[in-house]
Amino acid sequence: MRIELEVWRQDGPQDRGRFEQYVVVDATPEMSLLELLDRLNDQLVEQGIEPVQFESDCREGVCGACGVTVDDRPHGPVPKTPSCRQHLRAFGDVSRLRIEPLRSAAFPVIRDLVVDRTALDRVIWAGGFVDVETGTAPDADDVLITHDDAEQALDFAACIGCGACVAACPNGAAHLFAGAKLAHLALLPHGRLERGRRARALGQVLDDEFGPCSSYGECVEVCPAGIPLAAVAAMHRERLRGLFRGKAD
Amino acid sequence: MTVAVAGPPEAAPVPRPSTFVLKQVMAITGVIFVGYVFVHMIGNLKVFFGADSFNSYAHWLREIGYPLIPHRGVLWALRVVLVVSVVAHVWSALVLWVRGRRARGAHRRRRMPRLMASGARLMLPSGLLILVFVGVHLLDLTIGALVAPETFRSGDAYQNLVASFSRLWMAVFYSATMVFIAAHITHGWWTMLQDLGATGRRFRMVWITIGVMIALTILLGNALIPVLVQLGVIA
Ligand code: HEM
Ligand code: SF4
Ligand code: FES
Repeated sequence: MRIELEVWRQDGPQDRGRFEQYVVVDATPEMSLLELLDRLNDQLVEQGIEPVQFESDCREGVCGACGVTVDDRPHGPVPKTPSCRQHLRAFGDVSRLRIEPLRSAAFPVIRDLVVDRTALDRVIWAGGFVDVETGTAPDADDVLITHDDAEQALDFAACIGCGACVAACPNGAAHLFAGAKLAHLALLPHGRLERGRRARALGQVLDDEFGPCSSYGECVEVCPAGIPLAAVAAMHRERLRGLFRGKAD
Repeated sequence: MTVAVAGPPEAAPVPRPSTFVLKQVMAITGVIFVGYVFVHMIGNLKVFFGADSFNSYAHWLREIGYPLIPHRGVLWALRVVLVVSVVAHVWSALVLWVRGRRARGAHRRRRMPRLMASGARLMLPSGLLILVFVGVHLLDLTIGALVAPETFRSGDAYQNLVASFSRLWMAVFYSATMVFIAAHITHGWWTMLQDLGATGRRFRMVWITIGVMIALTILLGNALIPVLVQLGVIA
């Protein structure tokens, strides 16, 4: 398989950046998007060219480190799939791909395809954690929780923090990410103790650093964790509740 | 052992009013508009029952609550609430739009083919069209200036309406605007669900269905009138 690549190259945060054209002649259908970039980099190193920088870690869709924009779609053409799990065989009959970083004002480019996603960390710092002394592990039936609640909490906990939702959003909003976090922790007994405080603090970071949600719904098209749009409603519910209740829980 | 923990950096200046507050303003004023437009549409249907029925409805609007409330009291109260809501709704819409553009950053991305995204994209243009429409509508049938029919007579609402909609371009403008109002309400109603925080699966389904029905009813109820005037059914 011969694939022509148009890849974003940017030497540093201050550099303006540009697209460079490359060709990989020995791509195979089994390759993932990242493996295609690995192959390209082997080629570039052989030619004495600086390899393309991109992020990845687990390469099995669980860590959230990867994420590039392919032909205008965050993560790539396959819906709801992280870049590391996007395989060329699923792309149909392609011979050209344009690869650039995840784009959003909140994600400044560090180099090539690597962006700074610390803005998401600041959301987590504000309230994406449970602040209780857990001590030794309690008995499994100590604190009861319904099966439905557990399942729902796990569904929202599936967010891998990749930031594709922000890059997909025409408004640069992080409501899907933040909503998944709030909905997840509000459903669990330990998380509930700080429900109000968490919603207020986390909401403020959201307002300060990201855009508004106008229900475009493009985030759910790319979210590899399948977080539903109801997470956005959950975010607003938690904030309204936190505001009117005014208490820590 | 001490562990260095990277804490959150200095807080950036908070944009005011917050995005959250602005969205709540949009949602609340949006409910007011939907309620108003729906009731207004029901009133408009009186046109099907003839001139007397329609004119007495127009008259009744000025008299609600009399003698408890002075003549036109309710009408004026409604007008004040609506004007304040329009200013708040439009201002919030513009501020949110600017914030959205800024947060997106310099790079534009091709849109995704998604019905809902098209609905969201239409909100500002359709909203601005509604604003123009409200101006034209007031001049045409309430104030009687500039775009009003030549035979405009204050107090004869039925005759004015027929005279106005007998002009083809005006009939087309009214009917076409209704399509955009219906689109605005469909997406707006959906967004309200998000902004007011309704997460229950069944509630969301019911709510969305109701929104589509309201939008369709408003579209049919209103857009039919200019069409029927043009066809000579209402004269
Ligand atoms: C018939 C009059 C109108 C009705 C029934 C109406 C209704 C609504 C509703 C229900 C929403 C959703 C609110 C939310 O929860 O966020 C909304 C949003 C919106 N409206 Fe209106 N509206 C009207 C007039 C206008 C006007 C005159 C503008 C002029 C700019 C406008 C611009 C917008 C925009 C841009 C949004 C989207 C805001 C966002 O999601 O970021 N609307 N409208
Ligand atoms: S909500 Fe989905 S797209 Fe957004 S950060 Fe989490 S996993 Fe990624
Ligand atoms: S590299 Fe871990 S999710 Fe893609």
